Amino acid sequence: MSSRKRPSNPQSASQPRRQTGGSAAQEEDDDVAFTQPSTSQVQRGLEKVTEAQVDQKSAEVVQYFLLKDQKKVPVRRADLVKHVVKEHRNIYPEIIKRAARTLDQVFGLKLVEIDPKNHMYILVNNLETSGDASPTTRPTDPKRGLLFVILSVIFMKGGVVRENVVWNTLKKLRVDPGEKHDEFGDVKKVVTDEFVRQRYLEFQRIPHTEPVEHEFRWGQRAEAEVSKAKILEFMGQLHDRDPQSWTQQYKEAHSSQNSSQQAGGSSQR
Amino acid sequence: MSRQMGDSHRRFLQTMMANGIIDEQGAKTLHQHCCQTHNAQYAPDRLDDFIDTINSKLQPMFMQIRKGMSEDNGHQYYALVNMVENDVTRMTSDYADNELELFRKMMDLIVGSEDGKLSSIDILNSADSMTTKKLKKSEVEHLLNRLVQDKWLSEKRGEYTLSTRCIIEMEPYIRTMYQDQVKVCHICHAIAFQCQICENPTCGIKIHNPCVARYFKGRTEPRCPACEDFWPHEIPEVRRLRSQ
Amino acid sequence: MKRARGGGDDEAPRQNGSAARRKGDPPHSDGVDAGSDFGPADLQDADNDPGLRREIRSKYRDLISSVQQNREDMLSPSNNRLTEVLEEANKLFKDVRQAREAALDAQLLVVATDLGKEKATQLFSEGTAFDPSAFAEHLLSVMGINRLEDEEDEQQNGGAVDGYLPQDAWHRVARRAECCFRTAPSFHYMFGSFHAEPPPPKQRTERQRKAPSKDAKRIMPTQLKKMDESHQEATEKEVERILGYLKSYYQDDPTSPISYYEFVIDPNSFSRTVENIFHTSFLIRDGLARLYLDNAKLPCIAPVEEGEVEAGVSCSRKQCILSISPKTWKELIDALDIKDTMIQPLNTQNE
Repeated sequence: MSSRKRPSNPQSASQPRRQTGGSAAQEEDDDVAFTQPSTSQVQRGLEKVTEAQVDQKSAEVVQYFLLKDQKKVPVRRADLVKHVVKEHRNIYPEIIKRAARTLDQVFGLKLVEIDPKNHMYILVNNLETSGDASPTTRPTDPKRGLLFVILSVIFMKGGVVRENVVWNTLKKLRVDPGEKHDEFGDVKKVVTDEFVRQRYLEFQRIPHTEPVEHEFRWGQRAEAEVSKAKILEFMGQLHDRDPQSWTQQYKEAHSSQNSSQQAGGSSQR
Repeated sequence: MSRQMGDSHRRFLQTMMANGIIDEQGAKTLHQHCCQTHNAQYAPDRLDDFIDTINSKLQPMFMQIRKGMSEDNGHQYYALVNMVENDVTRMTSDYADNELELFRKMMDLIVGSEDGKLSSIDILNSADSMTTKKLKKSEVEHLLNRLVQDKWLSEKRGEYTLSTRCIIEMEPYIRTMYQDQVKVCHICHAIAFQCQICENPTCGIKIHNPCVARYFKGRTEPRCPACEDFWPHEIPEVRRLRSQ
Repeated sequence: MKRARGGGDDEAPRQNGSAARRKGDPPHSDGVDAGSDFGPADLQDADNDPGLRREIRSKYRDLISSVQQNREDMLSPSNNRLTEVLEEANKLFKDVRQAREAALDAQLLVVATDLGKEKATQLFSEGTAFDPSAFAEHLLSVMGINRLEDEEDEQQNGGAVDGYLPQDAWHRVARRAECCFRTAPSFHYMFGSFHAEPPPPKQRTERQRKAPSKDAKRIMPTQLKKMDESHQEATEKEVERILGYLKSYYQDDPTSPISYYEFVIDPNSFSRTVENIFHTSFLIRDGLARLYLDNAKLPCIAPVEEGEVEAGVSCSRKQCILSISPKTWKELIDALDIKDTMIQPLNTQNE
């Protein structure tokens, strides 16, 4: 999905163009908060800066993506430009392309634009988790378990569930959204605020309900990061059942964009 | 030697990101695991080359996998560190500004202390003199727990020390910022917090506890390596590496 | 392990009656027929009785909310509550006269139809239906639930009652779930997160043997100053003296708890109270005494028995910070009605 319609650049003497590492290509965005420079503008801009300056800027952009990822909140392009790219906004596409390449080639991370309308970026791992095979046990985050349960329920219930389904399931797991939980604190806030800001979940009001009711869907981050096929596999183990017996979910998991994104990685195992 | 990174290097780096610090034995096993997972060539004795390859690519981001010794057990550790302070790095949100202020105060006190330790009472008292938004006692407690959990501090019986991870990352900073207070180990030349000090007032060299253990091992009468005076402190045992 | 049924169990499910049966038979038609049985004359009174009207509306609201609250359980194929709700609605509709009531009836119908639709989809969709309750039950096993002897299936309002989860329950789920995620690991650092600044200049020249004691001195009451050089030793003595008091009170009656506040508070002196708190904290730190909360959530203190001292090391330690001001000190004295000090002050004892 990288270079769709970039016109050829005869003027690339100073910049040997290389392939982007299979990352989201941002160059093609047209509607933008700041004026996205055209290819020729970028080209002209690049002539005025040194190679080292461009590299330095893109290294800063990498730093920025890494630190913003500490809290798993997506990066808004507008913030990136304002805080980091700054006076080099005229060569923004080149900078972000290099940053994406570094993230990919050095860190094994993919820069994904999850929201092309609002220009939001997240990092996704190119490498499969080695799980039990890894000699070093990564610290586990109990919230990850909570998130997993919710995503599973939504997926298994066809992609949308009323909030009550989620709360009731959690109650059965000894987590009461109305009470402060030892590990999660304010559960309702974690689920409907933190997970939503991280874009793991969408939490929307169902129109015309009285009293007000909400429903959950997978957020854009979940779509990019979480494998439905793996969830289904896990469900199969859990219920001691063939994953294919959930016909609809099986179809969804193996036809959606979600599964095709995961396919590349699964083969590495 | 190949300077190109492969998935084995990336996996190693990712594990370093997730863990922050890893002991030498762990790094060796991880090295093997990463190479095998991605069918890369595995040379057991080339761990440091393997890490150098990663470091050469991390350099533009001012990151590094750096080796250092634990003052606690004398073992070698590898930590993934940041080496630059700029507008971008200060945007990190792991800790709030007032939490960082207290952390810095704690560093001031630890570096200035005799034994590199700080009691929770001292920390609470220093929280009273904060200039940014003051932290409540319960918030200080919570912060201390987080700092220990995130491996920036170590805690033993209510006393806090800088963790190995923290010392490895902050060493250059501490050397520059606390020039006249910082202690340096006479044996390994790294900065020292928990150490023994020669009691000869004209000498006064410092040696890390584990370095003392190694240096004096098997010597019948321990003498200061600098002034030859008798070394009056208790000589600790050399701590063995965990075998695997 | 048995499958837990939905929380609908409390609704005494009745056997037959499929969920779909009622669907083609909305309460409306019944209701309209029933309503027409009444003569216009009878209507007049009943129509205008505000109490009756209110009651009907309230019953409707109850029904609606019961459907909304128990939606998930009602969705379970074995649950017949939907049928019952519709039957109740039929009865209610017989008395519906005013537009407000009819609106509520319509609202209930919307809610019920929606539920019926979902129930039907579940039944007729190809493949296996997914039952969150069953999922939760299986997950509890993954989480390592420790079930109490007899699975008490009847009690399940939110759980808590049957079986308890181990500390790492959610970590276990997280670990199992990890393979489903392609989450990027994040990089954390301390250096670079704040402005590099040299420390404030301090007169660190008089860095003597025990640097911490300088600060400790500050928080100790002035009275202790006379202990001066052997100050640490004095502290140790005082700690032991207090332990002696604690043990003797405990031995007097090992069954009655010793209130921590009553123990440390000296109603005649705030500073001695602070001293007592300070010294008692060493007992706790060294595992010679333990603190616990009584039924009223008030802290109690007890000496740790000889044998327990070693064993106790392994059990989890918790730190807490106690602050006391002259104001809280006075409040505690009043609240606990403290007349005497349990720890005799040193000097009065000597004199």
